[in-house]
Amino acid sequence: MKKLYLAVMLLGGAMMAASNAGAVDSTGCGLGSMAWRGQSGIGPQVLAATTNGLFGTQTFGITFGTSGCDPNGRITGGTGRMTLAFLENNMEQYAMDAAAGRGETIDTLAGILNMDSEKLGEISKTNFAYLFADENVDAVQVTLNLLELVQNA
Amino acid sequence: MMFKNWLFFSVFFFAAAEIQAAESPAYSPEWLALGHYRPQGNGQYESTIDSDNFFLAPDGKENPENELKATIALFAGQDEKRCFFPGRYLYLKKHKLTSADFPKCKEYEQFQKDLQPAGVTLLFTDAYMNNPSSLFGHTLLRIDTARKGTQLLAHGANYGAFTAGQENSVLFAVLGLTGGYYGGFTVKPYYDVINTYNNIENRDIWELNLDFTPEELDLFVAHLWEVGQAQSRYYFFTRNCSYMLMETLDAVRPGLHLADDFPVQAIPLDTVKAVYSRPGLVKGINYRPSRQAKIKHRYKQMNTKEKEAYLAAIKNQDWTLSGVDDNAAKADILETAYQYVQYQYVAHELELSDYRQRSFKALLARNKIAENGKMEELKDGKNPLFSHNAMRAVFGAGIRNGEAFQEVSYRPAYHSLTDDNYGFLRGAEINFLNTTFRHYDDSDKTVLQQFDLVGIKSLSPIDAMFKPISYLINADVKREMNPGTEKEGYTFNLKVGGGSTVALNEEIWFYFLGSVYAGYGAILPDNTIGGLGWTAGIFADYGSWRLIAEAEKVLATNHFGDKMRYKAEAVYSLNRSNAIAAEYCYEQNYGKDLDEALVSWRHYF
Repeated sequence: MKKLYLAVMLLGGAMMAASNAGAVDSTGCGLGSMAWRGQSGIGPQVLAATTNGLFGTQTFGITFGTSGCDPNGRITGGTGRMTLAFLENNMEQYAMDAAAGRGETIDTLAGILNMDSEKLGEISKTNFAYLFADENVDAVQVTLNLLELVQNA
Repeated sequence: MMFKNWLFFSVFFFAAAEIQAAESPAYSPEWLALGHYRPQGNGQYESTIDSDNFFLAPDGKENPENELKATIALFAGQDEKRCFFPGRYLYLKKHKLTSADFPKCKEYEQFQKDLQPAGVTLLFTDAYMNNPSSLFGHTLLRIDTARKGTQLLAHGANYGAFTAGQENSVLFAVLGLTGGYYGGFTVKPYYDVINTYNNIENRDIWELNLDFTPEELDLFVAHLWEVGQAQSRYYFFTRNCSYMLMETLDAVRPGLHLADDFPVQAIPLDTVKAVYSRPGLVKGINYRPSRQAKIKHRYKQMNTKEKEAYLAAIKNQDWTLSGVDDNAAKADILETAYQYVQYQYVAHELELSDYRQRSFKALLARNKIAENGKMEELKDGKNPLFSHNAMRAVFGAGIRNGEAFQEVSYRPAYHSLTDDNYGFLRGAEINFLNTTFRHYDDSDKTVLQQFDLVGIKSLSPIDAMFKPISYLINADVKREMNPGTEKEGYTFNLKVGGGSTVALNEEIWFYFLGSVYAGYGAILPDNTIGGLGWTAGIFADYGSWRLIAEAEKVLATNHFGDKMRYKAEAVYSLNRSNAIAAEYCYEQNYGKDLDEALVSWRHYF
C-alpha cells in the first residue's frame, strides 16, 4: 500500500513536469524561459526543437544526454523527484556503488535523502538484489525500492 | 605649430574623456562589463550581446549611457522586465542609483532555490579527437552548490551555439565560422556534465575553484540569469564558448580584464591559463579523470594473475576470477570490469542485452564480496595549465640539395607531436595555419615555402582493452618542384589517412596509416594529381625529448607524385617555452632526389 502511494506521488510529479514540458515555458534550457514567451525567431524554435522527453522511462543503461533542454535541466523539487531524476541519469553508477556499498553516488543520494552516507551504503549493499531485481529494472522501480528501504530503516 | 596644437588638444580631450569615464557610472568598468560593452577603438562602445531583449534603450547596444538611464527608469517603475535584470539591479543599488526594492520574481527565485549557489568553478575538458568542434577542448562554468551531498548536485553553465543537431555537416563548419549560429547559456546538473565528458566522451575534466566573495557570487548568479536570457552571434574561433565565459567573469570582477586578452582567437586552454594567471582568482584545482583513464590506471595496478583473471572476465565472460584469492583484489577487478563493460556499451561494442547481462554478472559477483577494494584512484594528471603555449615561432637553418637556406615559421595554434606533450592529449596533433618562409642563399630568393591550412593527427595505441583508430587529415599549400620541367610552383594538397598505433611501452609507439592524396597546381602535369600510399613510423616521447621517424610511399596518377619519403625529426625541450629541433628528409622522386636537413629553435608563446 505504501509502495502504491509512493508510486502515485512520484508519477504524479513526473506527469506534472511532463505537462510543463509541452508548454512554451520549457524552452529555457534550465535558465529562465521568460525571455522566449510569445517570441518567434530562430532562438525559441531551435530551443523547442531540442527539447527532450521527460523522465520515467529509463531502463537500466547509460543515458545519453537526457536533461539538455527540459525542466529537468535543473535539479529541483522534493526528495522523491530529486532521487528519481538523479537515478534516471546515474543508475548504472549507483548500481556499482550499491553493489560495493560506497561511492560518490551514495554520498550524493545520502545528501538528497538527508541521511548518513555510510548507513545508505550499508542499506544499498545489503539489499542490492532487492534494489536491482533483474537487468530489466527501470529507474522508477529502483527509486521506489530505495525510498521504501530508507523509510523502513 | 599646428602639430603641437593638435597634440595639446588631443591630450586635453582624452584627459577630459578619462575624467568623464571615471566619474560617470555609465562608463564605469562595472557597468561596461555588465552590459558586455567592448571598446571599439574610436572611443565608442558596442555590446557583444545581440538579442534585443537584453537592451532597454533603443540604442542600448551601442550606448551604455542611455542603457543605464533606461535601467534606472525601469527600476523606478513596475514593469515585469525588472525580473530580467537582477545583476544590473545590484549595480544600481550599490551606486545608490535606485532606492526601489527588487521585485518578487517567481522564476528567478526558483532558479536561485534550485542552484543553492556556494561558489563558482571553471571547468576545462580535454580535447576530444572524434569531434571537430572539440579538438581544442572545451570550457564551461559550474555553480557550486550548498546542497547536502556532493557537487554532483551542482550545475554546469555552458555557453554554446544552438546548432539544431547539424554538428557533423559542412553547414555546421560554415555557419560556425561565420556567425551563422546564435550562442547562449544553458544550465544542467553537474552529474550530467560528468556523464557527457568523463563517461561518454572519455575526456578528463579539470576543475578550477574560483575565489569569489559572497557579494561576487550573488552578482555572478544574478548576471548569469540576465545573460542567460540573451543570445549573441557565435563565432567558432573568436566569440566562442570560452570567450563568453571571460566576459561573464569580467562582469563579476571587472578588474580581471580577461576578455581583453582575447581580441582575436579564444582557444579554450588559453582562457583557462588567463584565469589562472590572475592573482587571487583560483583557490584550488581538482582533477576528474575520464572513465577510460580510470580503467587504465586500475589495470596498471593489477599484478599478472589479476590481469589474467580480469581479461578472462571481460573477454571470455569467465567471471570466476580463478587464480586470485584476495577478496579485496577480486573486488577491485570486478569494479574495473564493470567500468569496462560500461565503456564498451558507450563505444557501441556491445548490444544492450549483452551489456545488461555482463553488467549484472559483475554487479552480483561484486555484491557477494564483503571487503572493500584497495586500489588507488587516479588523483592527478598532467595539468594542461602547465603545458606549452599554443603559438609557436621557429627559426631554422638548413641545406637542401647542397643549397643553404634559412627559414622562419609561425603557427598560431596548437600542438605538434614533437612539441612538449605535457598537459596535452598524448598522440594528438593539431596544427592550424602554420606558415613557413624560406630564404635560399645561392638563388638569393625568399619564398613562401609551406602554408598548412590544417593538420590533424591522432595516434592512439590499441591494447588488450581499447581499439581506437588512428587517423590524419592534412590540407596545405606547398612550394614544390616539377622534376620533369625543373619548374617550381605552388601546389594545394589534401591527404586523409587511417590506421593503427601499437605501443611497445609507455614511451615508444609504432604506427601504420594508409592514405589517399589529392593535389592541384599549375606546375603539375594536367594540373591535378591523385594518389594512394602508406606511412609507417615510430614515435618516441621521453618527456623532454621526442623523436618521429617515418617512411612514406605514395603511388600517384603521374610520376610527379610517385614518391618514397624518409623523414626524421628529433626535438629536445630546454624548458616549456623553448626547444631545439633537428630534422632530416630524403625523398626519392622521378630520378630527382631531394635531400634536406634543418636545425631550428622553437619558441612557444
